[in-house]
Amino acid sequence: MQRDYLTIALCKGTLLMPTLDLLTRAGLPTCGIESDSRNMVFTYDQARITYLMCRPTDVPTYVEQGAADLGIVGKDVIEEQGKDVFEMVDLKYGYCRLVVAVPLELRDVSVKDLNYKRVATKFPVIAERFFRSQGLQVEIIKLHGNIELAPLMGLSDMIVDLVSTGRTLKENNLIEAVKIMDSTSRLICNRVSYRTKHKQILPLIEVVQKIVRGDVVNEN
Amino acid sequence: MKNRQIPKGLRDLLPDEVKVKREIEKKATKLFRSYGYEEVITPAFEFLEIIETGTGEKIREELFLFMDREGGILALRPEMTVSIARLAATHLQNADFPQRLFYVANVFRYVQPHVAQYREFWQVGVELLGASGVWADAEVITIAVKALRDIGLDDFKISLNQIGIFNSLLEESRMRDDEKKLIRTLVERKDLVELSRCLENLDIDDGLKEAIARLPVLHGGLEVLDQIPYLEKNKGASKAADELVKLHDALKICNVADNIVVDMGVLRGLDYYTGVVFEGYSPGLGYGLLGGGRYDNLLEQFGFPCPATGFALGVDRLSLVLGHEEEEPVPYLIGGENFRLIIKKAEELRKQGYIVQLDVEGHSKEVLEEKIKASKRKYRLIYIEERE
Repeated sequence: MQRDYLTIALCKGTLLMPTLDLLTRAGLPTCGIESDSRNMVFTYDQARITYLMCRPTDVPTYVEQGAADLGIVGKDVIEEQGKDVFEMVDLKYGYCRLVVAVPLELRDVSVKDLNYKRVATKFPVIAERFFRSQGLQVEIIKLHGNIELAPLMGLSDMIVDLVSTGRTLKENNLIEAVKIMDSTSRLICNRVSYRTKHKQILPLIEVVQKIVRGDVVNEN
Repeated sequence: MKNRQIPKGLRDLLPDEVKVKREIEKKATKLFRSYGYEEVITPAFEFLEIIETGTGEKIREELFLFMDREGGILALRPEMTVSIARLAATHLQNADFPQRLFYVANVFRYVQPHVAQYREFWQVGVELLGASGVWADAEVITIAVKALRDIGLDDFKISLNQIGIFNSLLEESRMRDDEKKLIRTLVERKDLVELSRCLENLDIDDGLKEAIARLPVLHGGLEVLDQIPYLEKNKGASKAADELVKLHDALKICNVADNIVVDMGVLRGLDYYTGVVFEGYSPGLGYGLLGGGRYDNLLEQFGFPCPATGFALGVDRLSLVLGHEEEEPVPYLIGGENFRLIIKKAEELRKQGYIVQLDVEGHSKEVLEEKIKASKRKYRLIYIEERE
């Protein structure tokens, strides 16, 4: 990390477009990022900005350890990892919700009926905490993707997963039983960078807050 | 092969790492002594009750706990301030005050280990017991700044706050206790998103709401105090703010104000702080280097009402930022066939202050030259040819 550069960790995928849009509106350079999907580091010397492109689940790690000063990532990831970072702004885009979903034939079960069942999920920490808060004990099966497959193949009785439109659930004969939390993208900050690079970070946060609130921002 | 793992979060320190650590400790303790502080040592573990009395129950999940054979619950110390407070209440009630104490100690926390966060780590720190007022705070903060300077850090900041500002505003809001607790947690975690959502739903004065929402991000010179809405309407908060101004003036006189920023977001996690609090940061590391503040009610918990202030410096974290070692003197390596002559020469050189190693294996000159060539370290070889 160069000391006088601001380093921002971004994630590839569906969140990238709205993120680049936001950064552009906040007056930061973003040219070339969208078209160059293989590059992992983008540096803009004039603006003294470096972007790191990483997996969403790695963004909090980069920020917590100070390898990046700021990061943009979903609340679901932040909540799951419980990393020691400052959560500065709700960016409002990238909405999805984390839900418990069950096979269609169980559509009428109550939460209590889920006791001692098996849950497949990418979010073991949130899932465990949720079920415990409901007074339930479940067996958590951590998977890394295609969670919907688990109940189909008899690996689990239900899943805890992110849903935005609900289409994937439907296609796999699953139905949302309980919502655990809503999630949107957040701007997070390293706790030391926030203090040592305050002069660069605070104005950026203020302008992002304005954009999110819908205030008119001078785009020059 | 026998298992040779060590428990998670612990580590061995090899000679090069120990050198850096000892150098830090040497410079810090030399500075502490120059201010009249004296070293104390307390046991590595205490009764759980003592630790919890001091730091609050929140600390429990970070403690290493075990039992003695009488059924008492013991905890490895998670920090030193509570132990020193207990020590003072036990032994120093009739001593001259203020008392100036310092320590070099390992402390233990059951946390998720990562770089710069181990489960056993080392702290050096001072406690100034029996003195209230900003001059005492200024002394301790000045020592903190000078310690980092002496150790060789040039780029660092001490973030300063008076938690009376936040506490008084929160007190006035007439929130329920659980709401206060939640707000405090959110401010400590700097979860501004949840904080503003939470404040929106509370039925309290709008000015107060804005003040609480703004505090965590207020950072800069003393002028940030003017940016707190509602401040002058709250007696406790404006008194705390005045104290911060006075302290800042004192730190200017102590010639350390260049390293000081006012940061309303610094609250420190531990329950015992009552007034001025501070944390030290360097851009070279994503984690804090030191932390401290005033804890006027802690000693009272042990039956000895007495104002106090102090700080602790994380030696392991500081080692990470420093990394560089000082030039070391090149040691002598003395070989030969006559042990008596080797010893004689070695003693002579040691008397002159040199580091001297003996070739205790009786190698020939050629072998020794080869070994020195192959070694990463440098040696000055003396080979004694005479046989007496």
